Amino acid sequence: MVDNPKAAVLTGFGINCDVETMAVFEMAGAEAQRVHVNQLVSGTDSLEEFHILAVPGGFSFGDHLGSGRLLGNRLRFAIREQVCDFVTSGKPVIGICNGFQVLVKMGLLPGDEEVSLSQTASLTLNDSGHYEDRWVTLEFNDASPCVWTDGLERMRVPVRHGEGKFVVPDAELLQRYFEQEQVVCRYVDPSDKYPSAADDPVAYPLCPNASMRNIAGVCDPSGLVFGLMPHPEANFTKWLGATWTREGEQSDWVGEGMAIFHNGVKHARKNL
Amino acid sequence: MGAAPVHRIEVTPRVLPGLQDTRGEGVRRQLAYDHDIEIESVRSITGYMVRAPLTGAQLFDSLRDLFTDPVIEHGVANQSLLDDDVMFTPPPEIAIQIGFKPGVTDNPAQAALGGLTTLYPDAGAAGDVATTMTYLFWGVPEDVDEKWLADQLHNPMIERAAIATRIHCRSAIWPQLPFPDRPPIEFEEPAIIDLEVSDAELERISEAGLLALNLAEMQAIQAHYRDSDTQATRQQHGLPEAAPTDVELECLAQTWSEHCKHKTFSALIHHKDTETGEDSTIDSLFKTHIMQPTWDIAEEVDWLLSVFHDNSGVIAWNDDWSLCMKAETHNSPSALDPYGGAMTGIVGVNRDILGTGLGARPIANTDVFCFGPPDWGGHIPKGLFHPSRVMRGVHAGVRAGGNESGIPTVNGAMVFDERYLGKPLVYCGTVGIMPRRLADGRESHVKTPTPGDVIYMTGGKVGSDGIHGATFSSIELTEDSPSSAVQIGDPITQKKMVDMLIEARDAGIVQVTTDNGAGGLSSSVGEMAELTGGATIDLSVVPLKQAGLSPWEILVSESQERMTVGVKPDDCAEFEALAELHEVEATAVGEFSDSGDFHVTYGDLTVALLPIEFLHDGLPQLELVSEWIPPEHEAPNFPDVDAEGMGDVLASLMARPNVASKEWWVRSYDHEVIGQTVIKPFCGVNHDAPGDAAVIAPLHGDTRGAVISCGITPRYSDIDTYAMVAASVDEAVRNAVCVGVDLDKMAGLDNFCWPDAIVSEKTPDGKYKLAQLVRANRALEDVCRAYRLPCISGKDSMKNDVTFDGEKISVPPTLLYSLIGNHHDVCKAVSSDFKQAGDAIYLLGETHQELGASELSCMFSESHGGGIGGQVPNIDTERNIGLYRALTAAMSSGLVASAHDCSDGGLATALAESCFGVDSGCIVDIEHLFVEDDELDNWGALFGESLGRILVSINPQDSAAFEAAMDGHACHHLGMVGEDDQVVIDSGEENLLRADLATLRKGWKATLDGGAP
Repeated sequence: MVDNPKAAVLTGFGINCDVETMAVFEMAGAEAQRVHVNQLVSGTDSLEEFHILAVPGGFSFGDHLGSGRLLGNRLRFAIREQVCDFVTSGKPVIGICNGFQVLVKMGLLPGDEEVSLSQTASLTLNDSGHYEDRWVTLEFNDASPCVWTDGLERMRVPVRHGEGKFVVPDAELLQRYFEQEQVVCRYVDPSDKYPSAADDPVAYPLCPNASMRNIAGVCDPSGLVFGLMPHPEANFTKWLGATWTREGEQSDWVGEGMAIFHNGVKHARKNL
Repeated sequence: MGAAPVHRIEVTPRVLPGLQDTRGEGVRRQLAYDHDIEIESVRSITGYMVRAPLTGAQLFDSLRDLFTDPVIEHGVANQSLLDDDVMFTPPPEIAIQIGFKPGVTDNPAQAALGGLTTLYPDAGAAGDVATTMTYLFWGVPEDVDEKWLADQLHNPMIERAAIATRIHCRSAIWPQLPFPDRPPIEFEEPAIIDLEVSDAELERISEAGLLALNLAEMQAIQAHYRDSDTQATRQQHGLPEAAPTDVELECLAQTWSEHCKHKTFSALIHHKDTETGEDSTIDSLFKTHIMQPTWDIAEEVDWLLSVFHDNSGVIAWNDDWSLCMKAETHNSPSALDPYGGAMTGIVGVNRDILGTGLGARPIANTDVFCFGPPDWGGHIPKGLFHPSRVMRGVHAGVRAGGNESGIPTVNGAMVFDERYLGKPLVYCGTVGIMPRRLADGRESHVKTPTPGDVIYMTGGKVGSDGIHGATFSSIELTEDSPSSAVQIGDPITQKKMVDMLIEARDAGIVQVTTDNGAGGLSSSVGEMAELTGGATIDLSVVPLKQAGLSPWEILVSESQERMTVGVKPDDCAEFEALAELHEVEATAVGEFSDSGDFHVTYGDLTVALLPIEFLHDGLPQLELVSEWIPPEHEAPNFPDVDAEGMGDVLASLMARPNVASKEWWVRSYDHEVIGQTVIKPFCGVNHDAPGDAAVIAPLHGDTRGAVISCGITPRYSDIDTYAMVAASVDEAVRNAVCVGVDLDKMAGLDNFCWPDAIVSEKTPDGKYKLAQLVRANRALEDVCRAYRLPCISGKDSMKNDVTFDGEKISVPPTLLYSLIGNHHDVCKAVSSDFKQAGDAIYLLGETHQELGASELSCMFSESHGGGIGGQVPNIDTERNIGLYRALTAAMSSGLVASAHDCSDGGLATALAESCFGVDSGCIVDIEHLFVEDDELDNWGALFGESLGRILVSINPQDSAAFEAAMDGHACHHLGMVGEDDQVVIDSGEENLLRADLATLRKGWKATLDGGAP
């Protein structure tokens, strides 16, 4: 039991969403600290001291050579052991947008029980061919072991990416991820009745990137490591919503996206 | 460096079920959209030329771990993918490889080199990488020429193309560019420039050296070197006594450039007005009409912290935080290389924020572009790009620059006019935030250098790119303009530097900072040296991209991503440690002094010694002449139409590029990063209705906000620039009022883009253009004083003319007015979309017969002949501000459901846009408008662009309270939001306009849909 779990929020090299990611962890009751990747490499800081790891969104290394690859390599080659130890010691990890791309490219997601860090999936250019910022609706898999999404049904969040098409070219492997309930959230049409997540392609722009089977986010087999393309931290309060001025008087202003961070912090509190 | 072999790595996407080559597909789609050329299929190969001592095993591993995504890509080393029968069968018909020219910033290559260094530190450190992109084409129409195709894919100013033609491809001869080695440069000792020559020769020296100095300025320099005191000092330093070195002359040219010194705005102007008989003298438009009003307002308010003198203007936002804002233009570079020019525009203005006070954090960008018509079918002078290509390139550059830097683009505009075919206008603005005080008690908007502080150059290295940007932007663009003035930005290098410098500021170790923009080190150090009274720098220690640069080149190069910082000697170790953590280059290049001189050495050799006073105050004032003769325009020809015909007119108007939806373009900017954007560029039930102004809440969880808006109305300049400026400022204010700005705390930025306004052989109408500038400035003063809206920063770009092929194209006089204001409570912000059927619709403000140079008149002058003449919108500032205050009070009482600005296309357009937000029509009656103005006709009422008008909707239960709140102001109840798709506008019994919303929306979205989903 820890009262105030410590969250390491990675920063540096073009990570852009570190400030708001810190803010949402603080709002969720964690003690958040920005940690530069090089502080982990040099040993000034160690992941061991933290209970939660967040890899925020951004354009690490300009997305050159494929989004997330270069930062993924820094983590995979320069601090491999720290990362593996963190995950195997039962601590939750979240990667958002570019952070998700990092976790996928370094092989931590969808991952395997051995934490072998072998890449099996990828995030590639949206079929539209361009970057866009637009709001989408996610639907969560209630059978998923993901500790971050416990109790969630649907959520409105922005996507802000050019390379968010989630692909697993090996159809059998993709099926296995479904069977292991590692597919955590998918893009849906908000006008369809809950639950509606399905394999048939949801039309653009409701599914903004043509992800295979509309996948927006996945977890590792343990459910501790979670990554997604959309930005739940960008909906931490209702006044950041896409249509909030149409939604009348509010009794409280807590945004839909906060549930994810509350879950992560709650899990760390209970289990660490 | 030549010893290591060049390994060629090629990577291509795997095309499998559900996986496409999106890059290739994008090219295919764009050729179809922009040129109507249907090509069957396009594929792409990314190439890396890696010059590094790698073993075979390392090469193989790096292919898997670095260069290729093993899941979705296929890569090979030292063989050609095109020789692989399985990958590309049949072989392509045409193959074109694009790579950068030597010396041009290649960001992916730098990233690859960094990635290689992560894997193999030794090989990486000794290595060099260059990238290429190869496009493969199948099913190309026979009449498409390979060279033409290559021209669509690259910009020869910065890139090279290797083409495998149809014939080559049949013989399996594939394109292969060589490694872009830079030819070695020979170091040149500083030259001595003899100025004891004839006046004609002085002018020739200026012109040949791209110095952009006029004769009087050259003579002032000549006089300086004739001075006996100067000569005595120079002798002591071993300098030529009576002549400048090239380093000195270049330094003076940068510092005295129009770009840096705003010579036209500082000039003594003899102004004549043939209409009123006025004959007067104005001593500096800037001091008279921009600075003085702000100083006067500063007497009344306590929140103006720093205006005009720093890199951006700073206002106290609240007790703990201040906000600053700056907007820049990057027109000339964007004309030559739209992508790189625009990108360096946005990352450059970000540095202005970082260089304000002790450093502010950039938190929001604004982008306003003026282009030639995207569907232009007319002649384009040789050497210029088609406006659609300029638009794509500028947009992509700003997108990359803003998005990669993690700064949301929250507000902007696009304006189209054929006179922007020559130079596009690319305005880039940035808002920054900084704490009022640092932990050590210093106010962060005040720079605190002292003699002895060490001068650091941080960020990128210096190269031959970007030489003469400041002087180059101070002259007109011709086919001889130098490619060295064009650069590509590197947002990640800059982002690392921003992270580092903000940490350094918070640690209290920054004493002074400024960016290296125009004029490079000569300007940045030269300007800061004014604060202590001197500085010394040693150019030989400046890190270079390529050895051999001469001292003057190092001093004036505008290589990107660099800041100059002053640090106390005791803090240097800490500063350097921070730089190392963030992997930011930081080099001590000199120190501040109080010697009175800007002293530049190369090692032990003094290469320049310029008295600070002469450098900054030695520039002689220009004397200019202006004469106002009102232009004459024919009246427009309006056709006879019935109500449905009027609906068609509205549909046509809304499909014009100036009014059409910019959603496809704007969506590809990240407008929400940092988690603060409350009122976004889009609103409404379908997220597609245009917002008026941005509202941000920069402190997470805190409802105190800021408003960012803009106004730009160049059309009115054709009749009167006074009206143009009044309309622009009012539009910025109106937009801000629509979201609920705090009218007691708003500040503005004036960015003038003018054609050359100095009478000469090239500019015979210079007197008129200068008179236009005088009138523009007078409007700025009048309106800003009346709205109590101080200008806190601004910029002028005074040479927006091009001469290509003997044809001169000049931009219409254009002012962008940007506004930043306080918002008391973002939870009370209002958006432009109607909220629900049955809500009452009101028009606030008076409508007059003001169709002069309106969007409607421009449309009919194109389609029906006739002119654009008529009354331009008049401004009644007192009436407007009173109304704005009443509306703002109603908003804070929660009485207003929506508010939308009436501007381009007038009331009818505003109604349709607010309807898009609720996805249903409206039924309104505008009979009452005709009471306000006897001369008002249906055209004027529906499409006139009278200022000071805002369209609002009110929940019916609040109507009475709202009307009471607006008592004493022009407030017309027009009707209500409908339940079906019909937009119906009546006048009493008569139906004036009928249209269905779906049709309006379709045309409004189709014009600028970008050609992709």
